[in-house]
Amino acid sequence: MQLTKKGNISAALAAATCSLLGLQAHAEVADNSWQIDTALLYYGESDRVQLAEAVINANKDFGDEHIFNGKLVIDTLTGASATGAVAQNNVQTFTRPSGNGQYDIVAGDTPLDDTFKDTRVQLDAQWTQPLWENVRGSTGVHLSKEYDYLSLAVNGSLAKDFNQKNTTLSVGLSYAFDSIDPEGGRPVALSKMVLNNDQFASEEAYQQAFDATRLPGSDDKTTADVLIGLTQVINRRLLMQFNYSFSSVDGYQTDPFKMLSNVDQQGITQNLVYESRPDTRTRHNIYWQSKYAMDNAIADVSYRFSTDDWKIDSHTFDSRLRFKLSENTYIQPHFRYYQQSAAEFYRPFLLDGDPLPQYASADYRLGEMTAYTLGFKYGIDMGNGEELAFRLEYYQQDPKNNGFDQPGALQQLDLFPSIKAVIAQVSYRF
Amino acid sequence: MTLKLAFTLEQRSDHFCGHFSAMASPCEILIDGMDRQLAHIITQAAVNECQRIEQKYSRYLPSNLMQRINTSNGKPVAIDDETFRLLSFADSCYQLSDGLFDISSGVLRQAWRFDGSDNIPSHEQISKLLPLIGWPHIIFDQQHITLPKGFELDFGGIGKEYAVDCVAKICHQLNPTQSVLVNFGGDIQVTQPRAKQGFWQIGIEDPNSQQDANKVLRIASGGLATSGDARRFLLKNNKRYGHILNPKTGYPIEDAPRSVTVAAEHCIQSGLLATLALLQGAEAEAFLKQQEVKYWCYR
Amino acid sequence: MSKLNKTRLSKISAIILLIQLTGCASLGVQPWERDLLAKDAMALDSEGIDLGLDDHIYFSKEATSGGRAFAGGGCGCN
Repeated sequence: MQLTKKGNISAALAAATCSLLGLQAHAEVADNSWQIDTALLYYGESDRVQLAEAVINANKDFGDEHIFNGKLVIDTLTGASATGAVAQNNVQTFTRPSGNGQYDIVAGDTPLDDTFKDTRVQLDAQWTQPLWENVRGSTGVHLSKEYDYLSLAVNGSLAKDFNQKNTTLSVGLSYAFDSIDPEGGRPVALSKMVLNNDQFASEEAYQQAFDATRLPGSDDKTTADVLIGLTQVINRRLLMQFNYSFSSVDGYQTDPFKMLSNVDQQGITQNLVYESRPDTRTRHNIYWQSKYAMDNAIADVSYRFSTDDWKIDSHTFDSRLRFKLSENTYIQPHFRYYQQSAAEFYRPFLLDGDPLPQYASADYRLGEMTAYTLGFKYGIDMGNGEELAFRLEYYQQDPKNNGFDQPGALQQLDLFPSIKAVIAQVSYRF
Repeated sequence: MTLKLAFTLEQRSDHFCGHFSAMASPCEILIDGMDRQLAHIITQAAVNECQRIEQKYSRYLPSNLMQRINTSNGKPVAIDDETFRLLSFADSCYQLSDGLFDISSGVLRQAWRFDGSDNIPSHEQISKLLPLIGWPHIIFDQQHITLPKGFELDFGGIGKEYAVDCVAKICHQLNPTQSVLVNFGGDIQVTQPRAKQGFWQIGIEDPNSQQDANKVLRIASGGLATSGDARRFLLKNNKRYGHILNPKTGYPIEDAPRSVTVAAEHCIQSGLLATLALLQGAEAEAFLKQQEVKYWCYR
Repeated sequence: MSKLNKTRLSKISAIILLIQLTGCASLGVQPWERDLLAKDAMALDSEGIDLGLDDHIYFSKEATSGGRAFAGGGCGCN
């Protein structure tokens, strides 16, 4: 017999079977291995913040839809950020947030604090598995740590499929705890910035005056989120998602690095006051997303409406259109439009002599603004589940004055400058 | 003329069972879940696919592709892609079995009729047929096949298993999220494990039993096929002639097991390994062990 | 909660209810019609990494976050 010569013919027979039945051999092998997504992102504002961010995301299906997802993000931030103070026609001097030293801003410029330099590490882990027939459960943890900031979060959700898996209803809860401990302490709300113009008898006297505007130790906030989602297959080409989410934040939400200029009737800054925000915030979001498969393209459109008790309403429209260029390449233009109304306690400056409000912030991010993002992504399918992609986008924010009269000198100054940024990203999946 | 095959659909405790007769076997499609409409569509598609293959490749039907090939009288016959793939597969099987699996050996049936009698053909009858056997004499490419005069092809050795795999593939396309079991007279393919208990529990005929006793089998995924038939043999002078013929000698393989059942990824793989095991005669078990597959060998 | 928010909230819940009622009626596809939906690029989170990076940027540059997924905690990003 030919046993010794032929030996094990199973493999050869399996290969012959695959070509007979038109199957791809070893297709299932790739499914069981880790899928790793990596990305490097650069975000740069002209003259302001620069951010470099690296992501590694690992996904593994342990069989029977038991899925683990782990993510590591590291980013470093450098550059200058708007303090909230208004531009003036003369040089302005500011005390650094730490109290150690001062910096000057030239006439006509929006005051920026250039001391920002921070490295952040973020870790996420998520486990998803079926619990009962047509019901999946998912739970995860999140950690983000910076020099002066710590965020910890846990989440859990349930999803149930109906109607031959054409409808999925999900309910999720998330609870986050954030702690902030800025160098130099947190400013006392609406206290005046102490400037050392050699008026102090000694360094100790200055330090005493500065410390009087500071709260020692750290403070924290908690965020509870509820998210209810409905995913619906409309037809062979169209898929929709509707989410409602409720978010309740409780605790310290003031930005310890932001301030307001106290100006007189001529628009001249008399002094600077540290901002103060309410310590509760309640927000409702509704979100709609739709994906539509065409023969050579996929459209992804979403809209979000958000409203909160700080009176910030926002509308976000986002769209991506993935065009297949060839069997293994695609190009994907991206357009996003964002519009928000101002928080009720937002004011670009305080008027000297007016009574101090309970809450006030001149952070342009809480003011009225529109923003848009325009960009594209180019992806190459390298085979074997590998994909290389490049993304380049332009992001512009246009803050607006929501009805404040600019007294005297402020009329000639640009209090609401646009912020222009470039986003560049390289991603690789294997 | 195409007659629509009839089928029945039966609702069971946690699945549907579609039933019909084709390829001289009782055929069963088990569909996990309780969606009657889906079960109906799947069974109908299975019937259609089964009928398509049978009509195209059966040796017993007039004016089909097989008949055109077998009566070509030395002339080339045009073939399609599916037939080319089947011929390529048969070629691999011939190579892997060192010529023991030969789809041109069907002519031997003119001499051998395994009806339980003692009608052993004469040496003369056999030696007249041997020149009409030999896979290497058959020439084919993607467009044509040419058989020498007098040659015949028979896909009987792989046809039913091939049909099971084709039907299972269609069932999986129609129902990618749930398990479907295809069972054509004991040749079985399961598309994926069942949602709840994971496996199907089915009765298959026990080849060792002279009665219709069934043994119960659990199968979660993959293919299962049986070769050999305890009831197809000849008996003369206390010598038992099994129905597995050696294409090189024209005589039954000696000391072959009565039946071999193999579990593999696909039904056609199982069927081939089972048939090749029978062709090894006394070495069947050793051969199966080498293949590192799950098997049941009955002597 | 202000009056305005209450009316908004009831509008939102009305929309969700309506979606649920119409959702299950006749929409959807048979399992074998999922060829296009089964593509990776058709997954709602197919751009997961990009969306995560974008969420971080917009979280630190705008006053609104969340909606698609949990708004969660955050960072001290400026």
